[in-house]
Amino acid sequence: MGDCVLVVDDDREIVKAIGILLEGEGYEVLKAYDGLQALDILSSRQVRLVLIDVMMPKLDGLSAVMRIREKQNIPIIVLSAKSEDTDKVLGLSMGADDYVTKPYNPQELAARVKSQLRRYTMLGDINAGNCADELQNGRLLYRTEEKTLYADGEPVKLTATETKIIDLFMRNPGRVFPAEEIYRRVWNEDSFASENTVMVHIRRIREKVELNPKEPEYIKVVWGIGYKMEKQEKRI
Amino acid sequence: MIFFAGASLTLGGTVSLLQNMPGDFPQRPDRVLQADYQQSNRFRGYISGRLETFLAMATDSFGNDYCNYYDYYGGDWIESTTEGTATVTQELVPWEGMPLQEQAEWEEWYYNQGIYNDWYGNWQDRKDPPTDEERAQRCRNIAQRYHDSIKKDQNLLYSIAYNGKVLYSNSELLPMDGQLTAAEDYNFLLQYAEGKVRIFKDGIELDVYGDGYYRDNGSQWYVPGYRNFTVDEDQKKAVIYIAAAREPVLYSESAYGRSSYRLMDNGLYWMQYNITVQRNLLIHSLICLTAGLALLLAALLCRRSRREARADIARFTGKIWFEAKILVGILVLYLTFLGIIMWLGQSYGYGDLLYIMEETACWLEEGEYGYDLSYMIPSLGRAVCSLPAWTWLILFWLLYFAVNDLRHNKKVWTHGLIAKLHRAYTARDLDQPLPVKTARRNAAAFIAAALFGVLMLAGGVTGFVQGVRNGGAVWGLGILFFLILVGFLILQYRIGVKNMETARDLELLSGRIRDIRNGNYAGSNALSGDSAGNSPLAGHDLESTMAELEDIRHGMASAVDEQMKSERMKVELIANVSHDIKTPLTSIISYVQFLKEEKELPEHVQDYVKILDEKSQRLKNMVQDVFAVSKAASGELPMQMEELDFGKLLRQTLADMEEQIANSKVTFRTEIPDAPVMILADGQRMYRVFQNLFQNAIQYSLDGSRVFVTLQADGCMAVASVKNTSHQELEKDKDFTERFTRGDLSRTDGGSGLGLSIAQSFTEACGGNFSWETNADLFVVTVSFRIAENAVAGGAGNA
Repeated sequence: MGDCVLVVDDDREIVKAIGILLEGEGYEVLKAYDGLQALDILSSRQVRLVLIDVMMPKLDGLSAVMRIREKQNIPIIVLSAKSEDTDKVLGLSMGADDYVTKPYNPQELAARVKSQLRRYTMLGDINAGNCADELQNGRLLYRTEEKTLYADGEPVKLTATETKIIDLFMRNPGRVFPAEEIYRRVWNEDSFASENTVMVHIRRIREKVELNPKEPEYIKVVWGIGYKMEKQEKRI
Repeated sequence: MIFFAGASLTLGGTVSLLQNMPGDFPQRPDRVLQADYQQSNRFRGYISGRLETFLAMATDSFGNDYCNYYDYYGGDWIESTTEGTATVTQELVPWEGMPLQEQAEWEEWYYNQGIYNDWYGNWQDRKDPPTDEERAQRCRNIAQRYHDSIKKDQNLLYSIAYNGKVLYSNSELLPMDGQLTAAEDYNFLLQYAEGKVRIFKDGIELDVYGDGYYRDNGSQWYVPGYRNFTVDEDQKKAVIYIAAAREPVLYSESAYGRSSYRLMDNGLYWMQYNITVQRNLLIHSLICLTAGLALLLAALLCRRSRREARADIARFTGKIWFEAKILVGILVLYLTFLGIIMWLGQSYGYGDLLYIMEETACWLEEGEYGYDLSYMIPSLGRAVCSLPAWTWLILFWLLYFAVNDLRHNKKVWTHGLIAKLHRAYTARDLDQPLPVKTARRNAAAFIAAALFGVLMLAGGVTGFVQGVRNGGAVWGLGILFFLILVGFLILQYRIGVKNMETARDLELLSGRIRDIRNGNYAGSNALSGDSAGNSPLAGHDLESTMAELEDIRHGMASAVDEQMKSERMKVELIANVSHDIKTPLTSIISYVQFLKEEKELPEHVQDYVKILDEKSQRLKNMVQDVFAVSKAASGELPMQMEELDFGKLLRQTLADMEEQIANSKVTFRTEIPDAPVMILADGQRMYRVFQNLFQNAIQYSLDGSRVFVTLQADGCMAVASVKNTSHQELEKDKDFTERFTRGDLSRTDGGSGLGLSIAQSFTEACGGNFSWETNADLFVVTVSFRIAENAVAGGAGNA
């Protein structure tokens, strides 16, 4: 424990609130109130993760992210009130690892910080164990031999049916499966009202896998068509 | 149908009745209709004719008149004839009124007996009149032949005696002693003796003479013995018996191997045959007529169905091309005309069709040399009457259909080949740009003018040539014609050129109007003119119109610009405001979260915190919704349109909200087809639409009521509807989709008041239709999409 996290926002109350939240999770929190200050701290302290706002005086968040990326490879989570897809894409393309919109859900934010840190610290392990029977998608890893799913390196407890669904999804990331097909392949029988059954399981898996089950990133509904595992960009 | 049959039968009956009606039908219908041929007038005529013949045979004067006829025409001498024999001859050949068959037989008989040849050969060359003895001998010869020819016809038994000596008889049955004992088969017996006649029918004597005076009105027997109709002494010596069979049969004598078989006289047989046939025909006609009238009456009673039937017929005939109708009409008229002419030809002895045609042509061309019309008219009437009944039927029904068609179908001529061609031409004309249309019309007008001019020129040249030949004044007229023509054509050409110019300008103008309508307000160089500011229409008729249109365009362009700007500003403002609200909201939510985790707070403070938490969450949702709605309304919402199954979308949304639905106090009833209903939409947005609709339904429905979710593929449209019963009375005329409008006005519960508004703007952004209606407490929202085209076949196939 004691990983050092830098929180950057011009709103002091927000910085304080995040500080309280993350200190409660056992992290050491450093605070900065503009981009330049953040760069200063980064040059002097060993920081494992940066949480940074976009709209800030002196140096805005996105420029700061670019500057940080010139030197360091630490995880960066962008925190912004801009909630549009274009903003998210812009933030991620600037080098951020995650994008959280304000007003954020405290638990979700904490979970994301944890996830990023685990992936960053466990990177070596994952690379070492990268075998043929491993399927990686973002923060999810599925070992086909063991039939086990790992989220941020930690095994996720799934029921037999859920594991079968995950098996299907992890083997075919990005492919859309209609509920009938999922039902046929997982339950091995034809069914009419399969939508509800499948949806129940999908919801349960989401609650175990997703950081924010209400805004899933991995297991998505393709409305009017089916369900799919979103293919995440592989980051080193 | 009834009407059709009724009218047909009536018409057919009437026509055939008219054609088959014997002359005496109106006076004595009972006689015509009764079955016994012996009661007919014709039988009386036949019997009295035979009596006279037999009288002549008895007194050796048979054929005298006939011979005299040839005597007269054969030689130069003239023999006067007694009135009596003249009558005999006249009756002997009773052509008049006899059916053709009988007539022919009589003629044939005369010829076949060789009387003519015999007479002609023997007497032609004689210069002096024959003596009485010669005449008597001759008459006896003819009488013997006549007797030979008719004696085998056992329908008519006769026995002729003179001075107590039987001369001719064809029967053993007839007694000569005055005893009247005719055989059973012969129920008619006529006895002539002493110049008087007694007639027995079925053993009962008939009253022949009445008051004893003969009146020539057909009601009495034409036999001697009346006070004003006697015979001379010579003929009083004759005694004649005639018996007629009850049921005449056909007698014939075969002559196998020699020639053909020979028919006997058989007069009675044919008479009975004809009478029976005629009677049957008459009865048929009468039955037809009666049935027809009855049916007509019935049809009159159910007039309504007849009207429908007429309309049906009219619908059918309306489909036939007008030209075809005209053609049929002309054909019928021509055939009728031809028929009449043929009949005339037959009546007047011109059998040859070609000849008739020639005559017709002649008659048509030079009426004054042809037939005298006044002389034709009565025969024309007879011709018309003698046409067979079916012709009349055809004519009548054609006329009926034609009138019916005209009555029911408005503008019958619009459905025809020419009309179609015209329409096709007009339709093609519509697609053409204006200058092409004008050019085509100009060309047509010009060609017409040119043709006219050429005709005039031809006239002029003729005039000129004639003028030259006649050496005179007319050729000047020719030149004048030519000059007028040239002037006319030049004028026409000028007008055409001007029209083309105007048409081109109009095309420019209408193109500009189309541009403006399509939202292209930018000025184009082609119209704003060259650098000098000259409009391309400068000096043209439409210059001022163009300028006015340009003014309108400028006005609209600036108005639209302004509107766009203000709309953009509005969105920006909302985006900024929502961002500015979100930042403090983040702190609020964060610290409320910490407060919630604080365990040592007193209970009432924990309640406050709970309220704060709820409201801050609601504020967060509201800010997001406001932002989404304003973006959708300004059309800046990014869309990911894809083909998706509407039914599946609904099922997925329902499954997604299953927990919420299960926890609510309403039940959902769904009616969604299993077959895919493919539409083109943004799935994420439509999920949001139905999520909002279902949430609304859960939130505002009466506890324990049902929410109905249905999807129907209706032709090319997929229509989904959500119906729920409101727990509160719905205000009439309230626009629920207006932003921040909610079912209840208190605004104490969770909704942002933007649910329907978002649903509407998202649906419309996806290209669908969103509508809602209230009916008492029923709230119905309908979302409809056009079914994606390439999926229609599959969808319809499965449905």
